[in-house]
Amino acid sequence: MKLLKIKQSIQRKIVFIAIFFSLVSFQLSADNIQMKKNINDITKIYMSSMTYIFKSQSIINQKNVDKSSLFGDAFIENIKQTYSVKYNEDFPKADHLAKKMLLQVMVEVMDDNKELIHDNEIGFKGVIPATYASQLSAKLATKGIGLTIKFTRTEKGIRNILNKPDAWESAVMEKMKTTPDIYYDENALLNGKAAIRQFTPLPMAPLCLGCHGVPGQNPLNVGKDKSQWTTIDITGFEMENWTIDDFGGGVSISIEKSVLQ
Amino acid sequence: MQSFMLSHNSVIKSVFLFVCCFAYSVYSFETNAQVIRVGLIDYPPHINFDEDLSKSPLYQYINTTLLPLGFTLKYVKLPRERASIELFKGRVDVLMPIPLENETMKTLSLPIFHSVPGLCFKKENFIPILSAIHRLDNLTIGVPASSKIVAGLTASKANLLQIKGENATNRGLEMTQRGWLDAFYHPSPIKVYHRKNPAYKELACSYFHGFATPVYIGISPKLPEKTFNLINATYQKAITKQSYEYYFASRE
Ligand code: HEC
Repeated sequence: MKLLKIKQSIQRKIVFIAIFFSLVSFQLSADNIQMKKNINDITKIYMSSMTYIFKSQSIINQKNVDKSSLFGDAFIENIKQTYSVKYNEDFPKADHLAKKMLLQVMVEVMDDNKELIHDNEIGFKGVIPATYASQLSAKLATKGIGLTIKFTRTEKGIRNILNKPDAWESAVMEKMKTTPDIYYDENALLNGKAAIRQFTPLPMAPLCLGCHGVPGQNPLNVGKDKSQWTTIDITGFEMENWTIDDFGGGVSISIEKSVLQ
Repeated sequence: MQSFMLSHNSVIKSVFLFVCCFAYSVYSFETNAQVIRVGLIDYPPHINFDEDLSKSPLYQYINTTLLPLGFTLKYVKLPRERASIELFKGRVDVLMPIPLENETMKTLSLPIFHSVPGLCFKKENFIPILSAIHRLDNLTIGVPASSKIVAGLTASKANLLQIKGENATNRGLEMTQRGWLDAFYHPSPIKVYHRKNPAYKELACSYFHGFATPVYIGISPKLPEKTFNLINATYQKAITKQSYEYYFASRE
């Protein structure tokens, strides 16, 4: 009789423990899905803003045109539209601090360039996707919110020393050379803290080679005699002689888990 | 008799009411009218002494943040050199904005904004992207002797020319405008490179992005700890809700 009671109580405990663990693991996988969604949203919002900066080159560099689409709420509105077209889905809700901050920092970066963009006596303003990206990274770093974005590529021949990859990024890019897919790491570390990291490769396109390719592709050399060609691109950097088959680098995004939860 | 009683009663009532009102006004005076003196340093476009103070975005932001605390806020414009002394002596309670070169100054816990150094060029010699560091090779770049120079510049092969004296910044800009220098290192070019500034129309400035210095709001060591905590907590809440940097960037 007593033995039966003990047996029943053990059974009940086992059932309870099983339910408890399945609930916890269900919660964990739900958290993981949510974290993955957040980091994906952030990558796509960021990519859309780069695309919009690329599309706005003529507005940025022209004299005496209306440039209000590049600032404040109008800028965000245009990024939202770019996003819808690029990914064929609705722009994600800013339901997370990291997304909200990203949108604010984008507005701040454009405002930092406002005087320059409105300066009619300067032709090429140097506000291109890559410089916008590094300004955004730098500004985000001052916010202390545990979100890091970096536009990077393999260390050798890096243009801006501040874009240098860390060990995780270098290792991931090594893998990318054979499999150029989005890489996702749920159990990474960032500055010693648990973080989710994602690396999205940027496919090389013919337009990249106007700056990163060979002098023959440099728009500054068009119509000039070969002896007059420059190896410096319009942004002031030595061209790297990349080809369309080279690895273009990519976007590395990390969020500390403490921020995501 | 009865009418006398009545009026007597109402006199007592009115005296009582008067005493209550008086006590309340004394009480509210006690709690609300603590004067906080806010020292301001000219730091365009955040604080601009050349125009009405109400148009300065940093003034607007801090004023709106602190007003609900019920203090009487008094603003005092101060020259940069004297400002810290006034703060240390307690003649102002709050001082803004200050880039934190002076580590010993007590400040509110979060920076209010960040200042990014850069180079100012004559427009025809403008270099927009300063990470293209070799473009600075062999240029003669004026540097105010008192300024800390960022790695972005020291790593270059530019010839750095120290400019000494109190007015080093203005002289450096003047020299660049006249073509005596190829460029001038400014700890915060946003102060001079804006459309409202008539002084340096021939110059344009670019930035060493990634080399920002936090700029803080200083607090007098004489300010009671209780008041500091109240101001600091309110400030932190405001910054988290909408940072000053975003407020500044999204203004009309
Ligand atoms: C108008 C010229 C220009 C074009 C076109 C261009 N880039 Fe760049 N790229 C730059 C500049 C300038 C930088 C350095 C920006 C900085 O200072 O952070 C850069 C930086 C980068 C970086 C960051 C690593 C580093 O070297 O600092 C990557 C990755 C990159 N470019 C890839 C690409 C790809 C891929 C394309 C085409 C989709 C492309 N770029 C098109 C000018 C250009």
